[in-house]
Amino acid sequence: MAPGWNGQQQGEPGTSMHGVTGHEPVFAMSIETIGETKNSNSEPTDIKGRKFALPVDSEHKAKTFRIYSFAAPHMQTFHLSWFSFMICFFSTFAAPPLMIIIRDNLGLTKENIGNAGIASVSGSIISRLLMGTICDLVGPRYGCAILMMITAPAVFCMPLVSTVTGFILVRFFIGFCLATFVSCQFWMSSMFNSKIVGLANGTAAGWGNLGGGITQLVMPLIYGIIRHIGAENYTAWRIAFFVPGVIQTFMGLLVLLIGQDLPDGNYAELKRAGDKVNDSFKKVLFYAVTNYRMYIFALTYGYCFGVELTVDNIIAEYFYDRFDLKLQTAGIIASTFGLMNIVSRPLGGILSDLVARRYGMRGRLWNLWIIQTMGGVLCIILGLSGNLSAAIAVMLIFSFFVQAACGATFGIIPFISRRSLGVISGATGAGGNVGAVVTQALFFMKSGYSTEKGIVLMGVMIVYVTLVVFLVYFPQWGSMLFPPSKSTEEDYYKSEWDAAEQSNGLHHGSLKFAENAKSERGKRVETVPTAVSSPDHV
Amino acid sequence: MSPMKIGFVLSLALLALVSVAEGGVSFKSLNRTLTVQAKIQASNATSGLAHVGTDHLVISWAFNSSFAGKDADYVNVKIRLCYAPVSQTDRGWRKTKDDLHKDKTCSKGIAKQKYVATGNTTTWRITKDVPGAIYFVRVYAVDALGTQLAFGQTTDKNKTTNLFEIVPISGRHASVDVAAAVFSVFSVGSLMGFLSLEAIKQRKLNGKAGQ
Repeated sequence: MAPGWNGQQQGEPGTSMHGVTGHEPVFAMSIETIGETKNSNSEPTDIKGRKFALPVDSEHKAKTFRIYSFAAPHMQTFHLSWFSFMICFFSTFAAPPLMIIIRDNLGLTKENIGNAGIASVSGSIISRLLMGTICDLVGPRYGCAILMMITAPAVFCMPLVSTVTGFILVRFFIGFCLATFVSCQFWMSSMFNSKIVGLANGTAAGWGNLGGGITQLVMPLIYGIIRHIGAENYTAWRIAFFVPGVIQTFMGLLVLLIGQDLPDGNYAELKRAGDKVNDSFKKVLFYAVTNYRMYIFALTYGYCFGVELTVDNIIAEYFYDRFDLKLQTAGIIASTFGLMNIVSRPLGGILSDLVARRYGMRGRLWNLWIIQTMGGVLCIILGLSGNLSAAIAVMLIFSFFVQAACGATFGIIPFISRRSLGVISGATGAGGNVGAVVTQALFFMKSGYSTEKGIVLMGVMIVYVTLVVFLVYFPQWGSMLFPPSKSTEEDYYKSEWDAAEQSNGLHHGSLKFAENAKSERGKRVETVPTAVSSPDHV
Repeated sequence: MSPMKIGFVLSLALLALVSVAEGGVSFKSLNRTLTVQAKIQASNATSGLAHVGTDHLVISWAFNSSFAGKDADYVNVKIRLCYAPVSQTDRGWRKTKDDLHKDKTCSKGIAKQKYVATGNTTTWRITKDVPGAIYFVRVYAVDALGTQLAFGQTTDKNKTTNLFEIVPISGRHASVDVAAAVFSVFSVGSLMGFLSLEAIKQRKLNGKAGQ
């Protein structure tokens, strides 16, 4: 099997995260045995001889991204994929908007609610790490559908909960389905050309995160309708949970029925020939674990994405309790936080790319630090806002900065390592969930201080933790405060391969990447290779 | 309309009235000029617990004559169900605050009656939306605008004596349980079915290809 441009083969560690960042050419699945099938008019077709609706490249990945199209397989995959991810977000955060009713039904204390919130985001730390391997082995279609249909029973168990332990356990198991993020990104990478995979991935991730906002809006409405029909309030919230459960099951079936792993067909249908040359997992892990920048960004991602998850868990209850609103009103206001994801996450990545054009990597680092610190400051102001309209306005601006910081983080991640990109991206994502666990445990569990004080303290912690971005130093580009050394991009990316591997020429992919990465020097480089696959954004 | 719905609407109206009328009166400034008693009227008299939906609370209140003359401005009384401290711990949404506009101790309204010095009685069937907790009953004497002027309650100053427990509904129903089980089985079952069908199809195709 002909290797991809980067020398990596299918199934290697890290291949499942290719394209997540959208800054490197992606050859997630190289099924070269098919070659370039064309019909008699020299138009590319899949193995069954069907023409593609969109222009495709030599791997049959789409070269354009048409949002309003549902054409199989590319755009159909996009819509199946982001909607599945969105429904999983919907199910995971379906309990918080109804917490006002649930806490009285089950007799929950603040600590119980906090534990349940932590449980809801901790399950996916593991499932996200596993999902990459599952997608590599059986394909994103099976990965996504199996996960959704296995966790749907957990959603159906919520109507049966009558104890605190039951509630925490059910939220834990439902939270596993957030791993559809990985299958979503993986699937986009196999369907879309590297020039637009960043746009496809970023849009899919942003629209998926919308689920956390939509649920705050929709669950109270469903509850209200069921109450209106005549159910008791303690029964109505239980019945409301059938809605996410049924949609999740339905989407799982839809993915199985009409989904397709690759532009040419499903894994099982395609023959694979040739030997697989796997990169050493130990080596990939080693170069990830010894790169201190991975830890820094895993930590900072916990204070943008982690904070976003925490706020999804607490915001409806916060508005209800502090401002004495109706359940549905608190839900509508809380939903606007998650709904900002439509634009804020992609914009964060776009801003990072814009700044990098002139200031390079140093600009990206400053961009991330400024956006995330602004997010922290606005978090503090949100906790201090005692007026309803002020609180709503501050929350909207806060949500923009927090979600833009997520996008900006993934503008930097692809440059940390070439060889261990998958592991580093996965670790960053897991770091986000860990941040959610930590912030909920520290600030929203004790009755000692109120929720508004917890929000203020969380903002303070965001500001402090984001300071570690100052510590990130790239020898070839410098850091926020220090200029670069004489070291070059080639030196940096070559250093991930030892002498034996270099003599075998395994590092050539990294050298090619280093050439393209010269764009991160900013305007001071007069001759930047124009062959750079212009990183759109994530 | 069912009694539950009437009770719910009444309590909503009471709540609405209370939230509109409260102007931040300080609880400490109120005198305890009313005497209040509450009894559980239960189908199972020996249990000492009140069950929502079936049992009643019989609440009687009267003006304490030793405060003669202080009741000149009293127009109405509002009878409310209040959380005892043990049910408030670790639950900030039930917190007691001196500013009655922000106080969440007595969030459930029972009834509203006209004030008469000789007092009155009310029988209230406990509605099904009442959470399980330990309670006492408080009666506020209010003026025409709804501002609290005085109060009386069934318990002492520290809210430790004469408390009663209300047992809630679980909210679970056999039909909901069955539906949940059916949907879960369908979800996992259809997944397994689909996967086995595809596996069988693949085996057939591989078999054909091998021939």
